[in-house]
Amino acid sequence: MTSYRLHHQRFFYLLLIPTVLVVAFLTIYPTLAVFANSLFEYDYIGGIRTFVGAANYRAIALDAQFIQSATNTALFVLLAASLETGLGLLLALLYQRPFRGRKTAATLAVVPMMLSTMVVSATWRTLFHFDIGPINALLRGMGADPVGWLIDRRIALFSIVIVDVWQWTPFAFIILLAALQTIPKEYMEAARIDGCDPVAVVHRITLPLMRSHLLMVALLRTIDTFRLFSKVYALTGGGPGNATETVSYYIYREAYRYFNLGRAGAASVLAFAVIAVVAAFYLPRLLREES
Amino acid sequence: MSRTNRLLRWSALSLLLALAVAPLYWILITSLKTPREVILRIPTLIPRVVTLANYLEVLQSGVLRNFANSLAVAALSTGLSIVLGFSAAYALSRHRFPLRFNKVFLIWVLVVKLLPPMVLSVPLYELFASAGLLNSLFGLAVVYQVYTLPYALWILVGFVRGIPREIEEAAQIDGAGPGATLTRIIVPLSAGGIAATSIFCAIMAWDEFLFALLFVRRPQMLTLPLRVVNYITEYETEWGPLMAIGVLASIPLLLLTGFVYRRLSEGFTASLK
Repeated sequence: MTSYRLHHQRFFYLLLIPTVLVVAFLTIYPTLAVFANSLFEYDYIGGIRTFVGAANYRAIALDAQFIQSATNTALFVLLAASLETGLGLLLALLYQRPFRGRKTAATLAVVPMMLSTMVVSATWRTLFHFDIGPINALLRGMGADPVGWLIDRRIALFSIVIVDVWQWTPFAFIILLAALQTIPKEYMEAARIDGCDPVAVVHRITLPLMRSHLLMVALLRTIDTFRLFSKVYALTGGGPGNATETVSYYIYREAYRYFNLGRAGAASVLAFAVIAVVAAFYLPRLLREES
Repeated sequence: MSRTNRLLRWSALSLLLALAVAPLYWILITSLKTPREVILRIPTLIPRVVTLANYLEVLQSGVLRNFANSLAVAALSTGLSIVLGFSAAYALSRHRFPLRFNKVFLIWVLVVKLLPPMVLSVPLYELFASAGLLNSLFGLAVVYQVYTLPYALWILVGFVRGIPREIEEAAQIDGAGPGATLTRIIVPLSAGGIAATSIFCAIMAWDEFLFALLFVRRPQMLTLPLRVVNYITEYETEWGPLMAIGVLASIPLLLLTGFVYRRLSEGFTASLK
């Protein structure tokens, strides 16, 4: 029996080790390297690496572009995640009662999240086009002034919010609709018989019962919107000026255009810290659900 | 429900549905328009002349090559994630490793999944450059493990934990070794979960843009998202071919709509991304 168990044990190690190696290679080493990078100054031409301590952190804290990218990211996360969760909830409530064609309508409503992000971005770039885009054509037709959706620095970030909301509200919708359908109908009926109006039913009964799902959707959307990069790349290239630059985009520019690995590293470490805070909040809940 | 209420509900539903579907209609009609019709100041809602010229153009310019690249990377990265993820999931759910490794490892993997991929990209770029894995579809499939492996691992751990141990114990009493138990009992029992996980991993890989942008320069290695972005950033108004690529790139994903919808509403997964 002992030899059998030993054999077994070796088997489990053999199964696990390749995955651990891949994860270490792809994540643990890069994480350590990013921390290290953030403490050095690189001179690519001379090939020299100098230890500078916290200088990179000080530099980005004083860098107006980094501050703007951080506020842009915060604004984007806040707006997009809350709009997606809110609209998803609204849609789910509208779809709650059975009606003819509900399934088809729900499946159609989900299509935006099935398109790949680059196709979505390309499409909206044409829809938002200042001269020949259909949205401005509609505005002109109604006698309104055309809007510089992607070229006006006060508006561009909100335009990207619109695109993200269009693409990802369906995700919130499916999860929340599913959650809504697990609530026994009797609860709502009882409340209605007791004279609650529909708004009160939603407020007092539906929402409290959906709390954990709402929280989960909001968190998942927070995490995904926090990494915003490809939409910015495709829609505005971070512009006009730096109006739509996010933290991911800042890191990209510092690292791959200016070869400023120290600053990119410092910004990365700060992003890591934000995620650590989110994870500290999110993990206990997830692990509780897991067990 | 009162009549006005119903009317309100219907108009809200139709409006939302129209908002979801209108851009799709726009993609389709734009892909069928002539270049001259595309740049009209007031866009037509029904193409005056329907043409397949855009499709022919993108097919001739090698979009099938990009399609094949995307398909290969998706298949390869999914395969890797399933093999690595499943064996690790089995080991982690059936054996207690020392130093609370099981829990630590799963949590670390989850934290990685939460991180913006850009954060890890610089060291990964250097690592892959020195390993000669830039400009390679295999390299892309490997780096996509950053996304797909944590996902597969977490989902599959859930599946394996759901399989009653008694079944394995019975097999072992019947003389099956651990390898045979895994391949003959556990894998077949998880087939449904493996299939669903594979599809979600493949979608992630098909959609991926960041690492593709950083790691692939050679034209014959470009994946579809890169092709799309090249079109928008290089040619301001060549929308016909752009949308034709969009349609071609979307077909495989749209075929999966019903599947994804069912799985997500069964609570199969908390996150697609």
